Amino acid sequence: MPRHWRAPFSFLLSVVILPLCTSAANSFENTAIVRTVELGGALVHVTTTYAVKALEDGSSVYTIALAEQEHAHTSWLEAKLKGESERLPLEDFGFHQDSGVFLYTIELPKALNTNQTANLVIETVQTHATYPWPEEAGQKDGQSLKYEAELLVLSPYKTAVQRTKVRSPSPQIHSYTTPEDVEFTTDAVATKSGATITYGPFHDIPPSATSDFADKKQKHITVHYSYDYPVLEVTKLERAAEVSHWGANLNIEDKYWLHNAGPRLKGHFSRLEYQTQNYFGRPAPHTIPALQLHLPAGIHDAYYYDLVGNVSTSHLRTTPSIPKGAAPNQYSVLELRPRYPIVGGWNYSFTLGWDSPLEDYAGYDKATGKYVVSVPIMTVIPGSVVDEAEVKIVLPEGATDIEYFVPYPALDETISTHISYLDTVGRPKITLKYAQLTDKHGGNIYVTYKVPFSAHMKKPVAVTTAFAGIFTLALAWKRVDFRIRRK
Amino acid sequence: MPLAYTLPSNLSPATVANTSSLLRIVALALISGAAIASRLFAVVNFESIIHEFDPWFNYRATRVLAEKGFYAFWNWFDHTAWYPLGRVVGGTIYPGLMATSGVIYNVLHALNLPVDIRNICVLLAPGFSALTAWSTYMFTKEMKDESAGLLAAAFIGIAPGYISRSVAGSYDNEAIAIFLLMFTFYCWIKALKTGSVLFGTLTALFYFYMVAAWGGYAFITNMIPLHALTLILMGRFSSRLYTAYSSWYAIGTLASMQVPFVGFQPVRTSEHMAALGVFGLLQIVAFAELVRAHVSSRHFQSILFGSVIGIGVLGVFAFAGLTYKGWIAPWTGRFYSLWDTGYAKKYIPIIASVSEHQPTAWPSFFMDLQFLIFLFPAGVILCFRELRDEHVFVIIYAVVASYFAGVMVRLMLTLTPVVCVAAAVAFSSLLDTYIDPVEPDVLAPSTQATEAEVPAGDSPANAPSGSATTSKKAKKAAAADASSSGLASGVLAAMSPSGKSAKPRGIFGLDTRIVVIANALGMLLFFVLHCTYVTSSAYSSPSVVLASQNPDGSQHIIDDFREAYYWLRQNTPQDAVVMSWWDYGYQIAGMADRPTLVDNNTWNNTHIATVGKAMSSPEEVAYPILRKHDVDYVLIIFGGLIGYSGDDINKFLWMVRIAQGVWPEEIQEPNYFTAKGEYRVDDQAAPAMKNSLMYKMSYYRFAELYGGNSAVDRVRGQQVPKTGPTLDYLDEAFTSENWIVRIYQVKKEDLLGRDLKTANSFDQGKKRKKSKPLARRKAVV
Repeated sequence: MPRHWRAPFSFLLSVVILPLCTSAANSFENTAIVRTVELGGALVHVTTTYAVKALEDGSSVYTIALAEQEHAHTSWLEAKLKGESERLPLEDFGFHQDSGVFLYTIELPKALNTNQTANLVIETVQTHATYPWPEEAGQKDGQSLKYEAELLVLSPYKTAVQRTKVRSPSPQIHSYTTPEDVEFTTDAVATKSGATITYGPFHDIPPSATSDFADKKQKHITVHYSYDYPVLEVTKLERAAEVSHWGANLNIEDKYWLHNAGPRLKGHFSRLEYQTQNYFGRPAPHTIPALQLHLPAGIHDAYYYDLVGNVSTSHLRTTPSIPKGAAPNQYSVLELRPRYPIVGGWNYSFTLGWDSPLEDYAGYDKATGKYVVSVPIMTVIPGSVVDEAEVKIVLPEGATDIEYFVPYPALDETISTHISYLDTVGRPKITLKYAQLTDKHGGNIYVTYKVPFSAHMKKPVAVTTAFAGIFTLALAWKRVDFRIRRK
Repeated sequence: MPLAYTLPSNLSPATVANTSSLLRIVALALISGAAIASRLFAVVNFESIIHEFDPWFNYRATRVLAEKGFYAFWNWFDHTAWYPLGRVVGGTIYPGLMATSGVIYNVLHALNLPVDIRNICVLLAPGFSALTAWSTYMFTKEMKDESAGLLAAAFIGIAPGYISRSVAGSYDNEAIAIFLLMFTFYCWIKALKTGSVLFGTLTALFYFYMVAAWGGYAFITNMIPLHALTLILMGRFSSRLYTAYSSWYAIGTLASMQVPFVGFQPVRTSEHMAALGVFGLLQIVAFAELVRAHVSSRHFQSILFGSVIGIGVLGVFAFAGLTYKGWIAPWTGRFYSLWDTGYAKKYIPIIASVSEHQPTAWPSFFMDLQFLIFLFPAGVILCFRELRDEHVFVIIYAVVASYFAGVMVRLMLTLTPVVCVAAAVAFSSLLDTYIDPVEPDVLAPSTQATEAEVPAGDSPANAPSGSATTSKKAKKAAAADASSSGLASGVLAAMSPSGKSAKPRGIFGLDTRIVVIANALGMLLFFVLHCTYVTSSAYSSPSVVLASQNPDGSQHIIDDFREAYYWLRQNTPQDAVVMSWWDYGYQIAGMADRPTLVDNNTWNNTHIATVGKAMSSPEEVAYPILRKHDVDYVLIIFGGLIGYSGDDINKFLWMVRIAQGVWPEEIQEPNYFTAKGEYRVDDQAAPAMKNSLMYKMSYYRFAELYGGNSAVDRVRGQQVPKTGPTLDYLDEAFTSENWIVRIYQVKKEDLLGRDLKTANSFDQGKKRKKSKPLARRKAVV
């Protein structure tokens, strides 16, 4: 969610600091940039390695640039030093009007002195960067996608050498662009070996994060490749997590709206064809007959239904809860079969929910008297993108001092009241909205809150009062004589 | 008096009364629990889902009510039904069921119990069955006593005849109607007994509720007048009858006219005329009684004679005249089919095509009622014993309901309550007689004792033979006896008509008692087993979902209907019009949320016949019909692959018949049979059959599935031709996993203006025959 990392005062910062940044364009030099694009379906993973050399003492803030289109597709951005797992702090400076690029700054853990080097690895995940081509495919046909991107990696600094590798999951690449008139090289611009296309090397590129460069020097590339897995898109995901102290239960309910973003089915769906393909073990690549989801360990009472009722075609293999502190390496596996195979262009929506023991997710902090609950933001369906997500967390009735900590900021966050069974005043509900979530986004939201003893007792008191009231009324009714004349 | 076994004597009457009252409450609670629990098989075996066909519409309507409020529901014009006509839903339904669910929904939500509307709908019928048990208890209590009431409640709670219409998920009008029926009858009996306007009004209110809930309200509309008339004819006119009937009729009729669907029917249709007639008669009789009180009896007789004839002739003429002028609607077809079981088949094939409108096969009486059906006559005969006003009611009810249950399967439902009541009266009399510890005084030698042990069988014959005065005395004695001693039954007293018979009658010894009671308890036990078995195996299938078994014995769910409906819902445009046979109209509207041409509310015969014609015509004839009605998809049910016998090919003849009723020149039923008169789908099928759209859609590419082997239709048990039919005007759009539901898309007109058949053969590279150019067929847009 890079474009929402903007700090409230970052506009101010961009005004004040950016000129500094651009003037500081001389503080670094890229000795080499290697970009590797792992082509996929809904998600494309891009890893860019910058070999950086400082030109000034005390250079600690490195700036990277994303072109407009690239930025629109990018939903995850993280920076690391090569070989280390710690993420480096990243700040979003938003769109820079003059140069037509989006700028981010990375703070290096140690300032570099002149001629000191560092290797920065920027990982990004692009969503909706591919599209099916041809747009329609018959039931027997394969599936091919097109990926479009810019050839050169933009950088506000001078670059000595730059390469771009595009790796396809299968060696079947139908076509790829070989740009002509590229200035920075004399050799062949593109070479293909197996499933990899290498563009470059390109030498001695001037600072390229300018609109001028984009207009004149930048080239556009397109790769058309065959892709043997379905392209799955979750157009909407609603997760509701309900914490119940009385039931010692965390209920999670997901509503999915699935869409097969692969090529649209040409003609019509023939069951005969589908059954024949399955019989011969050659299912079409753009058909989703089933999904496999990894649900948390220790769940019970899972349910899977859609708008017309329970879907009986699913299997759940649960694993027992993992003790606290142990690495979560085991999952309950849910084999989920939609009512019908989802072929290209079709939709399917369903609801999936389960109960987990609360102690797997919650703890009590004696020092502050607060409960801590961790709620996973989503269940990742591998290789899929979630266009729009809403996470609701319903806390017990009467919870106070609510604080929550998110792994990455939400687009919109609200706290409202939710009324459920046997409530008198309602339960606090946290609603968080996200967009463009990928398999990198599977984090936890931590919520801390206090529940006073009186709030715990609200339900039994309410039920007791109601029943006592009914009995009292019945008692009175029995003893009052409404007859005018005595029998 | 000798006792067969001793009873504790040191209990105060208050303790006994309190204990028995507590026991009654506990027993009623347990009966309610059993009634609800035995209806949950469907939920436990399958899921919380709405069953069958009509309930899907009720559910959909209820959702509109719950989501948009009562006024939106009242004014709801459903433009997706009966495309392109639409349907004024608020004015063409009995809203009682939806209103009930809506009220429950709103009350629960007001109490912060956010129960899903679907669960309310699914569990409404079981919930109301508990209320039915309670109202049957109240009703039977009026007939005999509390113990008979409890038995009747238990019987109705688990009798399959009622469960068949009230399992969880069977969200139909009958779900609440039987409770209303029994409670209205209870109020009527109570009003008649007490002459209270309060109960008369209550009768009217529940009658109104019943009118709002079920078309079967006409049963009450005619039962009460019939009862009143019989009482008058028996010379039992009383001011109590007058008060009860008049308050019921006046308030009830006015109230029932508030239901839009009923409207002015209570004053304009023949079905309601009996009630009006009896109302008039009662006024006359009451007036006559008044006159009689003031004039001499000779005078009175001549006045009576003259006026009865005069009014009778006048009434008949007025009725005939009004019917002739059309002010009173003549009897409807459904009414005629009640008297002549062959009527519907001849004149209204739509009514006859519904399986629940067929005459009842007699084994189903046993299946639905088990041993109650044997006790039923005994109970009715026992009613003759005392023959109080309310007993007359049960007798009439028994006769009328038995007849109707024999005519139509679905009317088994109205028979079940009276069977339960009568059987409970009989059974409780039996138990009373044999549990009662009082032994007759042995004065005579023991040889007479054995003779006296002959069970109650011979005594009913004695009772009516006694003179009127003695029977009246006996009745009084019985009433007195019943009220004075709790256990000694009135029937036992009635068994000795003269009271002081020379022979001591009764049961001697403990062994006779134990044998009979153990036997009786055995019958009850088997009844429970039977009910549970029948309920779980026959009446708890949602019919939307089919169950089969895997080789390892586990349950396998065949869910093709929902698969196809959900596909329609998710992957077709919101306004795509779906054509199917009317059986599936409500389900498509409910689950697929798409407009349909015809549905289970079979109000427009022509529209249904149009669909029947399209299905039974050849493609090129059907195509203009489909295009004229904007049909985008055609949905059919085909069971040939897995042997699902309720499919469209088996219903096909009804489509042909209904279409024939409107277009006798174009569609003729005999054309669909082979020369030998067989209904075949294989190579020898009749040409009309083979060319019909239904046949083509059912078997399109079916033979290919068998990959060259002979393809067998498992429902008909016939081999279908190896080269299957081809379709020129339709495209296969979706087929469900087991091929039960097949959906076809109607092609648009060819862009070049060609006939679609020509266009198709052109696409396939076939040369057109030069001899004769094909007639250019242009669909009417």
